[in-house]
Amino acid sequence: MSTGEQTLTVSAGAKTRPRKAATRRQKQERLVAVGFLAPFMLLLLIFQYVPLLVMARNSFYDYSLLNPAAEKFVGLRNFADMIEYDDARRSFGITFLFAFGVVVFVIPIAFALALFLNSKLPARGLVRTMIMLPVVTSSVVIATMWSFLLDPSNGLINGALDIVGIARQPFLTSTQQALPSLIAMTLWQQVGFGAILFLAGLQGVPSELGEAARIDGATRWQVLWNITIPLLSRTTLFVVVIMTVFSLQAFAPAFLMTQGGPQEATNLIVYHIYNTAFIMQQAGYASALSLVLLLVVLAISMVQMALLRSRWNY
Amino acid sequence: MRTTRIRRTALTLLIILLIIACFLAPYAWVVASSLKNQFTVFGDVTPLSWRAFVPVGATIENYVSLFERTNILRALLNTAIVATGQVVFTLLLCSMAAYALTRIKFPGANVVFMLILLTFLLPIEAMMVPLYQVVSGLGLSNTLVGIMIPWIASPFGLFLLKQAFEELPAELEDAARIDGAGHVRIFFSIVLPNVKVPMVTLGLITFLFCWNSFLWPLVIVQDPARQIIQVAIAQQGSPTQLPNWGETFAGATVATVPLILLFLILQKYFTQGMATSGIKG
Repeated sequence: MSTGEQTLTVSAGAKTRPRKAATRRQKQERLVAVGFLAPFMLLLLIFQYVPLLVMARNSFYDYSLLNPAAEKFVGLRNFADMIEYDDARRSFGITFLFAFGVVVFVIPIAFALALFLNSKLPARGLVRTMIMLPVVTSSVVIATMWSFLLDPSNGLINGALDIVGIARQPFLTSTQQALPSLIAMTLWQQVGFGAILFLAGLQGVPSELGEAARIDGATRWQVLWNITIPLLSRTTLFVVVIMTVFSLQAFAPAFLMTQGGPQEATNLIVYHIYNTAFIMQQAGYASALSLVLLLVVLAISMVQMALLRSRWNY
Repeated sequence: MRTTRIRRTALTLLIILLIIACFLAPYAWVVASSLKNQFTVFGDVTPLSWRAFVPVGATIENYVSLFERTNILRALLNTAIVATGQVVFTLLLCSMAAYALTRIKFPGANVVFMLILLTFLLPIEAMMVPLYQVVSGLGLSNTLVGIMIPWIASPFGLFLLKQAFEELPAELEDAARIDGAGHVRIFFSIVLPNVKVPMVTLGLITFLFCWNSFLWPLVIVQDPARQIIQVAIAQQGSPTQLPNWGETFAGATVATVPLILLFLILQKYFTQGMATSGIKG
């Protein structure tokens, strides 16, 4: 770019002309930039920013999607309702519990899998491919597959429990077991992705560090605890945030496997929003719920960015 | 020394077996059961035998009735159209925007970049209600265009390509510039041919995302003739409503096999792209 401008300046003879030519050139550059950016930015504004404004505005209204014209301004009523009735609090609580359950199990298992994949291993590619299968499978297929796996009478898991002599379990039909079942399924779905992220991090750790410590007499565990894990703190934080944000937005399991039940034990927030807006036709209240969810997710992402940017770095 | 080595090998094998049992067995069960009738599916599970994972006495009747009874063929075609369109337009728009941000100097570039950066953090599942109103307000509900259009301007795609464009040496285009080539020619004949790998990666991830998307197509399309594959198999029936397990498994297989084949062939790009998105945050 700079080379181009220089050639232009050098080739122009008169004193005033280079300046004029430069501005014309700048204008032209600007025009080209607009041309290249306009399609992307236009779609971004229409499908990201406009919905954001629509959502913020509509959270102060009472209306239905079937007849949006018949709307009524209700001020902060939707937000007051969220506090007054316990549906929102329960749904958010269940969703946080679900996300927490997923993260708590995904992190250590994904890390262990990454360590395993990073060791001298026969058929490493094959193992990696196997744990990545659920990552490329749709959540609809996974939800379908798991509702059959977990079926109380003919499911594969209960069949396996019979063999090892454990009593059959109700899983999705029990208020106690439904949410843990969905957590187990999501763990299965996401652990491969977490392992790939950890593996990329592990491969960035210089092997000399561990080797030097081993020569100084450190055990494998000491190297793992005192060198590898601290070095991977940024990767870990990233995996935690990705998994949290993913789990907070889970929809297919509640929709396909449990319909939020039994007794709303799996009424995840996105499913609750879907029901409120599209089935119960309370789009204003659904907008308010969406706004709160959006703020929670944004807050988590902001904290992550702040931590990643800080000097908390080895 | 020798016993520890044997113990380690045994442990490794045990872990591999465990991984096979956890990750491969459910797929084997679904595919094998899709080739059996209901009676055999249940019989092989209680009591559980190795037959559950192997299609003994295979029959394709589940697939025949699936394609005859439901409009799954139409759904597959719709999905292929939407996914292709989304991949093509995402690649075009993201690469153009990335070019402008990395190769053209203009005032306000930082503001534009901030606007894009902010949308990166928006959780899409939380935007379904207002997005539905915007898209149906544009008259695009119940259309294939309506399914793909909100996701074409992908901030993730832009970041992936911007990264790649920044790594291209400036000398590459300087020569062409001196020869009088404009931005359009430099973009198509110099920059794009040099970013093939990130373009393929982005194309694949977009395809995966589109093929597997569920909530948005469920919301924006009601017309069965415009339905895409995930919604079609989700509405095919749940265990309580539709007693035919084999047919449901056949649907799940049809919806999954194309993607898994694609993944197996181009695994390198998938893993690379996911790992990059991870490191760069």
